[in-house]
Amino acid sequence: MKLYLIIVIAGIVLTATFSAMAIEIRFAMPDFQSGYSLPDIFTPDPPAGFGTWDVAILFGALSLATWLVLKKRSRRGLFLLGIASLPYFGFWRKGCICPVGSLQNVTAAVLLPDVGVSVLVVSFFLLPLLFALFFGRVFCAAVCPLGAMQELVAIFPVRISTAIDRSLGLFKYVYLGVAVLGVAMGAGFFVCRYDPFVGIYRLGHSFNMLLAGGVILLLGVFIARPYCRFLCPYGVLLGWMSRFSKWHLHIAPADCVSCRLCEDSCPYNAIDMPTPEIPPGERDHGRTRLRRMVWLAPVIILLGAAGGALMHEPLSRMHPRVLLSERIAAEERGLFEEQSQESESFRAGGETIESLHAEAVALRGRFKTGGAWLGAFLGLMVALKLIGLSTVKERTIFDPNRETCFSCGRCYPYCPVEEEVRET
Amino acid sequence: MLAKPEFDKNLFLWRTAAAVTVVSGLFSVLVFLLLVLNYLQVQRADPIDDPTLTNLRQEYAAAPERDEALAQRIRELDLLTRKAFFTSQNQLRIGGILLLAGVAVFLVAFKNMARWKPELPQLSDPPAAEEEWAAVATSRRIIGWLSVAVLAAGLLSAYLTESLVAPAPPELAQTPPGEETATVASPGSAPERTYPTWEEIEVNWPSFRGPGGAGVAHFTNIPTRWNVETGEGVRWVTELPRVAANSPVIWGNRLFLSAADENTREMFCYDTETGKLLWTHGLTPFPGTPAQPPKVTEDTGYAAPTMVAHGDRVCAIFANGDVACLDFEGNPVWGRNLGVPVNHYGYASSLIAYENLLLVQYDQNEGGKAMALDMDTGKTVWTAAREKISWASPIIARTPLGDQLMLCSEKQVDAYDPVSGALLWSEECLGGEVAPSPAYRDGVVFVANEYATATAIKLGGTADAVEPAVLWEWDELLPEVASPVGDGKHFYIATSMGDLLSLDARTGEEAWTEMFDDGFYSSPILVGDRLYVADMGGTIHIVGTGDTYQEIATPSMGAPVYATPAYLDGRLYVRTEKHLYCIENRGDKTSQTESRPPTIPAQARILNRPEEAAVCGRG
Amino acid sequence: MSERKKLDRRDFMRGAAAAAFAGATWFAAGSKAEDTVWQLDPNKCTQCGRCSTHCTLNPSAVKCLNQFNICGYCDLCFGYLHPGSRERDTDAENLLCPTAAIERKFIEAPYYEYKIHEERCIGCAKCVEACLVFGNGSFYLQVRQDICVNCNECSIAKACPSEAFSRVPASKPYLYITGDTPPNVVR
Repeated sequence: MKLYLIIVIAGIVLTATFSAMAIEIRFAMPDFQSGYSLPDIFTPDPPAGFGTWDVAILFGALSLATWLVLKKRSRRGLFLLGIASLPYFGFWRKGCICPVGSLQNVTAAVLLPDVGVSVLVVSFFLLPLLFALFFGRVFCAAVCPLGAMQELVAIFPVRISTAIDRSLGLFKYVYLGVAVLGVAMGAGFFVCRYDPFVGIYRLGHSFNMLLAGGVILLLGVFIARPYCRFLCPYGVLLGWMSRFSKWHLHIAPADCVSCRLCEDSCPYNAIDMPTPEIPPGERDHGRTRLRRMVWLAPVIILLGAAGGALMHEPLSRMHPRVLLSERIAAEERGLFEEQSQESESFRAGGETIESLHAEAVALRGRFKTGGAWLGAFLGLMVALKLIGLSTVKERTIFDPNRETCFSCGRCYPYCPVEEEVRET
Repeated sequence: MLAKPEFDKNLFLWRTAAAVTVVSGLFSVLVFLLLVLNYLQVQRADPIDDPTLTNLRQEYAAAPERDEALAQRIRELDLLTRKAFFTSQNQLRIGGILLLAGVAVFLVAFKNMARWKPELPQLSDPPAAEEEWAAVATSRRIIGWLSVAVLAAGLLSAYLTESLVAPAPPELAQTPPGEETATVASPGSAPERTYPTWEEIEVNWPSFRGPGGAGVAHFTNIPTRWNVETGEGVRWVTELPRVAANSPVIWGNRLFLSAADENTREMFCYDTETGKLLWTHGLTPFPGTPAQPPKVTEDTGYAAPTMVAHGDRVCAIFANGDVACLDFEGNPVWGRNLGVPVNHYGYASSLIAYENLLLVQYDQNEGGKAMALDMDTGKTVWTAAREKISWASPIIARTPLGDQLMLCSEKQVDAYDPVSGALLWSEECLGGEVAPSPAYRDGVVFVANEYATATAIKLGGTADAVEPAVLWEWDELLPEVASPVGDGKHFYIATSMGDLLSLDARTGEEAWTEMFDDGFYSSPILVGDRLYVADMGGTIHIVGTGDTYQEIATPSMGAPVYATPAYLDGRLYVRTEKHLYCIENRGDKTSQTESRPPTIPAQARILNRPEEAAVCGRG
Repeated sequence: MSERKKLDRRDFMRGAAAAAFAGATWFAAGSKAEDTVWQLDPNKCTQCGRCSTHCTLNPSAVKCLNQFNICGYCDLCFGYLHPGSRERDTDAENLLCPTAAIERKFIEAPYYEYKIHEERCIGCAKCVEACLVFGNGSFYLQVRQDICVNCNECSIAKACPSEAFSRVPASKPYLYITGDTPPNVVR
């Protein structure tokens, strides 16, 4: 009883102290007489040799997807490739590292000193982008495990209004911007932290993330690929690349006959229809509007930058050190009954609260700059979208929008031209 | 119109697919529900902190003797919890795979339902051109308003987010919170206030380890024989309202103690003649006083530092950085918060006073400082940066070169001019977590700490050459808490393990060592040619200061003594854990003052250190 | 003809852009291209217990390790025995480990060997705390690299209150409490 108490008290006394201390050898190593020798300490290496194979498999999958999209024009083939990619890149490789997440590693390596990134990760980042630059978003079509998962569950896709689609699509720029800001400020990898599917690949994770993944998949039954369309930050880069792609998927393998059969086949609103007839007088209106939009663009960018800079306080809360500093400041003012575990650990360490607060204030300053860049970027994106919606590119055929098309091939079976081509 | 295989119908396959869809769908839902149930069970069957098991274990440990039935219950419950945990884990994993498989079958079947009863594209009338242009305009509008909404939401969040840190740093950097002194009684414009002389100080017990913190009593008529059980030699005893680690201080016929916990900080004044509690004063928060005090260890507590009594003022400092000065009637004169100390055991350095200054050794893990505060106003007179933490207390050494404020810390001993705060000299000879204060006698400074060494340092001889020189070192038995003391011939060390030893002041040779069962946290005090020191078992060892060990008496207090007693004119004031004793041999009380003082102090910091556990270790 | 030329120029531009982009990224990012894995510094660990609850794997990839060359082989091992124990044996009421993952073996009087049964260990750090406070600190947590899936952002690292987790070179994937690699390590 007494021993128990002493130990408990001593435990309370000492835990706080020892966190910052090196260990202390209180009992010397015994001098064994029985010829006993120390057992081995088993410290296995991380699984090696994965890297090169993964890059090779990614390259192979991308090539196969390209062939299926452009040469074979097979929706079924792409679907099957997706079914193969999901277990490999998702369940087997556990979703790490994936090209979507590699975006952050590369950003960190470019923006932060002392941060490196392995060739494997750079390859994962670059390969899909390079393929998109030449062949469109074949990565999204059947290689990306996140895309494949959503593609599989999109059973009853409902087409939503183009206007809503375009507007919600803006959020992926926000996500990209915030993710890059988070990396640049050393706050963490948000794309990975809030990856809704990683928990499903691993059959376990925090309850909330599993729930989020489930909800997104359930939503994806009706609104196809919600993550890809409205959130995926890597999709933004892929879209930019794909916009300039040399060989992109076309719905009709020969001349489009404008039969409109494919019109409803794309659940992603990614088919550009022929330009409707322009009402008389609209052309002049349109020019004035475009001029106005171009003039407005710098204003929007500046507004965005100013807004972003003003938002530095809430933005800075994404950084754990700022959060800790605020928490400790609140504790010091008696706003909390108990110290958080972070606060306790911090207080047990050697650092002073003042230096933490100073660091937080400095970080907030950096977030002001970062927030301004983020705001300017978002302003630019909005301005470009508005300008894009104010220009008319005359089109007479049904063709995929190169930026938003996932090259999934859903439109292929609907095109009667294909049959003709095959028959001849 | 379309004759592609994709648009073939097959009702038989459609029906099969539909059946499989329904079955696999139901299966998936069932597995999902089981998984949720299992998840909740895992949450409950957590073997790490199962409350029932914890309670049982405590009960088992608390029982006077081994309870076989209880042990059996613990075994059963332990096995059950572990089984439940690992099975649930397995079930979760298998369930996850089953759910995944179910959903996969469901998806395939569902997909094939659509496959075998395809919907042909329904061509509606092409929308009018106007409608399409209107849709584009709607897109523009929605995007525009959405952007405005996002911007507004962002700005609103910026407006609503209020940082608690932003305004603090300039405040902290330029004016420490303590500068906003809460002056209660206006001192008026009396710059020439008189302060006690050394002669007055020496007939009192104004601070930890007596006048100047030297550890030397200026009366030799201290009792050697008493018995607290029979009451022989006990003038009075009073029960203390609260437990704290600080030692009693006395000025005139007033004895002062303090006590504190998370929320309260109190000072107590007793009558030295009767032991009657005269007044109690509780502090109210000052500007900068944290609502939540820093963490301290249970045995250090919130009131480890000993108070200081000086003329007509008495001051106390507490673990949250509050320092307050009262008059002898318990009326507040001033009080302030010095900033919350960063100290992993709890702040423990006692106060000391010099002329009109209250000197504070505010050593911390980072940002430590030594400070002098004006006794009348509490305003900072000087500060000196301190590099390392300590739990030692300051002493005023009366050297031939003038009075020096000597402070020990983790690395070194430093001497400052008490009036200006100028650093006079330092000697790097310490290490570890230092609680013992320095000792000074006849030009020699003696510092020691467990896990370091004990070092005797000779001060420079003239005012121009104050550079000290190491005389000798000792690295065997060393003190952890109790401060050393010197009488000119010897320096004395009392260790936490129960060793009491005497070292030759000039050579460092061991004169004698005596080992006792109980260790020492209370510091030894020199009373004429006797050394008094109380051990943690409550025995006060009274020994001679000669070249060999000579026991004079070993009266017991009947309870552990951690604080250092006060020795004044025929009396001994001892704080045990719960009581305050005044020991007096009737007829001894005269007024006999010894000659020069000199030396040094330490603070009774009571700690459970690993060594204590180590004693029980390796059965 | 002119159409053709224009196309060629665009192709050239595309190729050049791709090469420049890839090259720049490679150069900027690949200069310090060493593979890294997650590991926790036992000297910063506060034994908060989150390693057992915050890993995306279940049970956690963090396990306890006994560094035998600093182990005292104590009979009264506080990492093994519960503070409320009355006897030094293997009965459940005397054990600290909630999953009974520590195996005790008599070597010679008065020394006992303590081995971690890693399949049972869930990384709760109960024994780590006790050993650090009362013993030599030879029990401590490490990320077992063969189990860890090396998430891009480690969930435990995010939750760790003392910032003990960091990426370390894959060639030196363990952080020993003594700083140097103990002699009897097998990889």
